[in-house]
Amino acid sequence: MSEALFAAEGVARRFGERRVLDGFGLNLARGQGYVLSGDNGSGKSTLLRILAGLETADAGTLRFQGEPTLLPSYPDDWRLHIVYVHQHPYLFHTSVAANIAYGLKARGEAREFSRRKVDEAIDWAGVREVAAVPPQKLSGGEKQRVALARAKVLAPQLLLLDEPTANLDADGRRRIMDLLARLFSEGVTVLIACHDREIIELPGVRRLHLENGKLS
Amino acid sequence: MGLLEPTRQAFALLLRGDPDLLRIIWLSIWLSVTAIILISPPSIALGVFLAKRRFPGQRVLVVLVQALLSFPTVVIGLVIYLLLSRRGPFGSLELLFSPTAIVLGYMVIAFPILVVFTVSAVQGADPRVFETARSLGASGRRAALTTLWEVRFGITAAVVNAFGRVVSEVGCAIMVGGNIDGLTRNMPTAIALETSKGDFAQGIALGLVLMALALGINVAMAFLQGEGGLK
Repeated sequence: MSEALFAAEGVARRFGERRVLDGFGLNLARGQGYVLSGDNGSGKSTLLRILAGLETADAGTLRFQGEPTLLPSYPDDWRLHIVYVHQHPYLFHTSVAANIAYGLKARGEAREFSRRKVDEAIDWAGVREVAAVPPQKLSGGEKQRVALARAKVLAPQLLLLDEPTANLDADGRRRIMDLLARLFSEGVTVLIACHDREIIELPGVRRLHLENGKLS
Repeated sequence: MGLLEPTRQAFALLLRGDPDLLRIIWLSIWLSVTAIILISPPSIALGVFLAKRRFPGQRVLVVLVQALLSFPTVVIGLVIYLLLSRRGPFGSLELLFSPTAIVLGYMVIAFPILVVFTVSAVQGADPRVFETARSLGASGRRAALTTLWEVRFGITAAVVNAFGRVVSEVGCAIMVGGNIDGLTRNMPTAIALETSKGDFAQGIALGLVLMALALGINVAMAFLQGEGGLK
């Protein structure tokens, strides 16, 4: 059986009177791909953002590699291993390569090592042909691929993807699907929040469904 | 009196590089740049702090800084004059009617411009900038610096505006600088003095330099901003 990487217990989040997350539990095994489905507004994005430490919860405990933390506190060093990719990724006003290198630079990696890793990531995401284009001029699909490369280059223990194929054209969607399939085959632990049936039905992926604040 | 002759004389002064004129221009730029360099870092840091942190009294502080924007510079000059005058609390420093006094005045004038523009730029930043930086493992400090970099056009506008305001300021500079020839006489105070004496040529020449400076700065800013600037 695969080793447990990340667990959440009793996570609750309320917006006014509305209870979005109702003390649910979650266990993510190392190397496993997960898809989190649910209606619009069911709290999928909120859950991902809580797991990434970008949003606080009212109650609950998170456990990463055996280390527990009581929400709303979130250890800073977890951010080095848990990477979140936004539904509409923000690319910094710099080059594609510098965007991909951002996290490596934040970790103080050597320049030569970073250059090599960024180069590999550019090829992995298939963005070589747009590497010289200012990121703000890239299409939605290209931005998403650069964002995936920027996350993948960090070799995260847990990758959280929020609706990676939302609002993409057919070609953009197909290319993201290819990258997701490669992530799964490479044994990266991934949790994807999405509506996309094609992702939900990918082979080998475990399906989670969020409804009325509970996971099933 | 016609404008043609003084304007011709003004161009003649500029073209032959009149030493008095050049000294005044140089002093103006030097004092303004010094003040902006000294006051920008703390003002921008305070602007980021006010934009990102929530604390009791924050709103009052922002309103106070905004109110400073509309303070007449001559009142700022008056306050600094009283502080630096012989009987004032800092009279022993003997800074009144010195270039340092003008720099102090310029710093006070530039401070609210820099803070308010920075608050506005940082608050207007896309919230995904900070989140993206944090989720890629950046520390809070690095993420804040990344946000600042992403709104650099707004910050540049703040610095350029502050420079433009102080380099053309006259009330405070006259009060605390005294318009002393060769020591504290800068472009705006010289224009005021020469015009009051009926010597329009130097006033027009300096006015042309000030306008060229304003135009040059704005063109440079538009060039620097590129496609990230005003649409």
